[in-house]
Amino acid sequence: MLEIKNLHAKLSEGREILKGIDLSVKAGEVHAIMGPNGSGKSTLASVLSGKPGYEVTEGRVSYQGKDLLALSADERAREGIFLAFQYPVEIPGVNNMYFLRAALNAGRRHRGEAELDAGQFLKAVRAKLKELEIGEDLLQRAVNVGFSGGEKKRNEIFQMAMLEPKLALLDETDSGLDIDALRLVSKGVNAQRAPDRAIVMITHYQRLLDYIEPDHVHVLSGGKIVRSGDKSLATELEKHGYAMFGDAAA
Amino acid sequence: MSAKPETAPYRAAFAPAGALADKRREAFARFEELGFPTRRDEAWRFTNLRPLQEFSPHPSSPQRGAGRSEGAIAPYLFAGETHRIVVVNGRFAPTLSKPGSLPKGVTLGSAAEVAASHPALAARLLDQTDTVGGQAFASLNAALFADGFVLALDPGVALDKPVEIIHWGDAAENSFHLRNLIQLGAGSRATVIESYAGSGRYWTNAVAIADLAAGAALRHVKLQDEASDAIHFGHVRARLAADARYESFVLTLGGRLSRHDSFATFAGEGAACGLFGAYLLKGEQEATNATFVDHAVPKCTTNEVFKGVVDERAHGVFLGKIAVRPQAQKTDAHQLNKNLLLSPRANVDTKPELEILADDVKCSHGATVGDLDETALFYLESRGIPADEARRMLIEAFAADAIDRIEDDTALRVHLLAHVQRWLGRKE
Repeated sequence: MLEIKNLHAKLSEGREILKGIDLSVKAGEVHAIMGPNGSGKSTLASVLSGKPGYEVTEGRVSYQGKDLLALSADERAREGIFLAFQYPVEIPGVNNMYFLRAALNAGRRHRGEAELDAGQFLKAVRAKLKELEIGEDLLQRAVNVGFSGGEKKRNEIFQMAMLEPKLALLDETDSGLDIDALRLVSKGVNAQRAPDRAIVMITHYQRLLDYIEPDHVHVLSGGKIVRSGDKSLATELEKHGYAMFGDAAA
Repeated sequence: MSAKPETAPYRAAFAPAGALADKRREAFARFEELGFPTRRDEAWRFTNLRPLQEFSPHPSSPQRGAGRSEGAIAPYLFAGETHRIVVVNGRFAPTLSKPGSLPKGVTLGSAAEVAASHPALAARLLDQTDTVGGQAFASLNAALFADGFVLALDPGVALDKPVEIIHWGDAAENSFHLRNLIQLGAGSRATVIESYAGSGRYWTNAVAIADLAAGAALRHVKLQDEASDAIHFGHVRARLAADARYESFVLTLGGRLSRHDSFATFAGEGAACGLFGAYLLKGEQEATNATFVDHAVPKCTTNEVFKGVVDERAHGVFLGKIAVRPQAQKTDAHQLNKNLLLSPRANVDTKPELEILADDVKCSHGATVGDLDETALFYLESRGIPADEARRMLIEAFAADAIDRIEDDTALRVHLLAHVQRWLGRKE
């Protein structure tokens, strides 16, 4: 589904952050990318989702056989890529329900499906809200405005559940969550594991992996994947810390 | 005193008659003395009057309003039930107007007709010809106006349905001088929705007097969506007695050159004034919103929010002044102007101003000029919303923040937002 070959990327103004990433993700798999602060984890998520401000200097990314880097951010999303933000953005004045329906219908138009009217949309929404134990009042509020940290993260997973992506990138979805919120968010993610869907989790801590069990674990350090393994690698990291990968990862 | 040369074409058309002739002469003399404002006048510093000077419109409204079909004004009709007055090319259009049945104690009609039948109201129309000093176009309006509307409520009358005034202009190369009067008796209440639109090149020069007796409440909405070659000047003077409430919303979308001046004066304690608006400009449009609030007495409140969206080579101007006189203790006055610049060649001048001469007051003002929030834009795009649509959503939200100040009237908010959405879908 996703093939990353020798990916180098830098901030538009300066510093190289990704220094040759190779990664292969197949449908149905759950990957965890772990690494210390500054290792390039969030940059990888940003570059894959098409966030402005980064420049790819070398390498390529193919997604479902397409050149991913040639697509704009909104095209990538309509092709089935979803980024759960580390810091979900507050958008005053844009109603959550209006926003989500626009997003859902943009994807449906792209796939040649009929758009959902307000009634059909509300029906679909209610079912998912219930699963994630989110109150319906969320729909009437502006996107993420006045949400607590936990609500914002749950809203990300709720959007993911509605948009049904093929490839979900979860950027530090566990950060800032208390144990109850983490359990809810994880339950939401696990409910979405499917044979035709891949999930890439980016996290600093092993804690998340207790709730969402990955098939593969990669350690990112100094802009490169320095080690890959199964979930036992995470346990090893928990024991020894990132120091075992040298200075860049200290 | 000699007449300014640019006033000469108007002298030729000036032929006052009837009960108001003396007042009109006085107004015309004032106009001749003032001439057109120039950039040396502080209030007109940012305004380029060239479009008006270049086309020198015929000075007065044509003799009769052309019979327009409902089709032309259809996009401007309010969705709910209203008392409707339609004015075409500066004159009352009886076939299009639907005042409906009016409660007892309500006078609503064409300014020309009401002036003929109600001498007291006629006098109020021209109470002040030069409403706050140095207003050349308001003086010209007083001298030349042919028609407009009058709404007068007896004390205690509440008009539940809004009064809807639609002005349609399409007599090319003409100017329309409209004089409007809204007079609310003590404790009365009304909503007035004015819409200005048309096609071709013309000049609308409208003056409205809003006189609110003690405890009266007026919600005054104006949509300015004039033709893209048209010029529009609107001038509102509100006077608030004790405990009166005046709330205005001005949505500026149309016109080549436009200006809206609001003047509000507090004449009694405990009154409150809300001046809100949004301007969305593109192409070569230039629009000014100027407000002046005079806190002449204690314990009054002003809340002012204007939001501007300026694209392409357009120019938006906000001039806001709140004056707090020495005796106006316990004044609570806030003013905010925020602008979105959508293009490198778009331009905004903003001048919020507080002049505070009392010491026990709560006042604030502020202005911002910025771009669309890139992180918000990316968030929307990352969910598959196309870039153009994401931009429109953010612009709409920005303008809606001003519209949402109309707190208790959903239908009115929906009406204004629909016009913003129409603007957003409009291509140059």
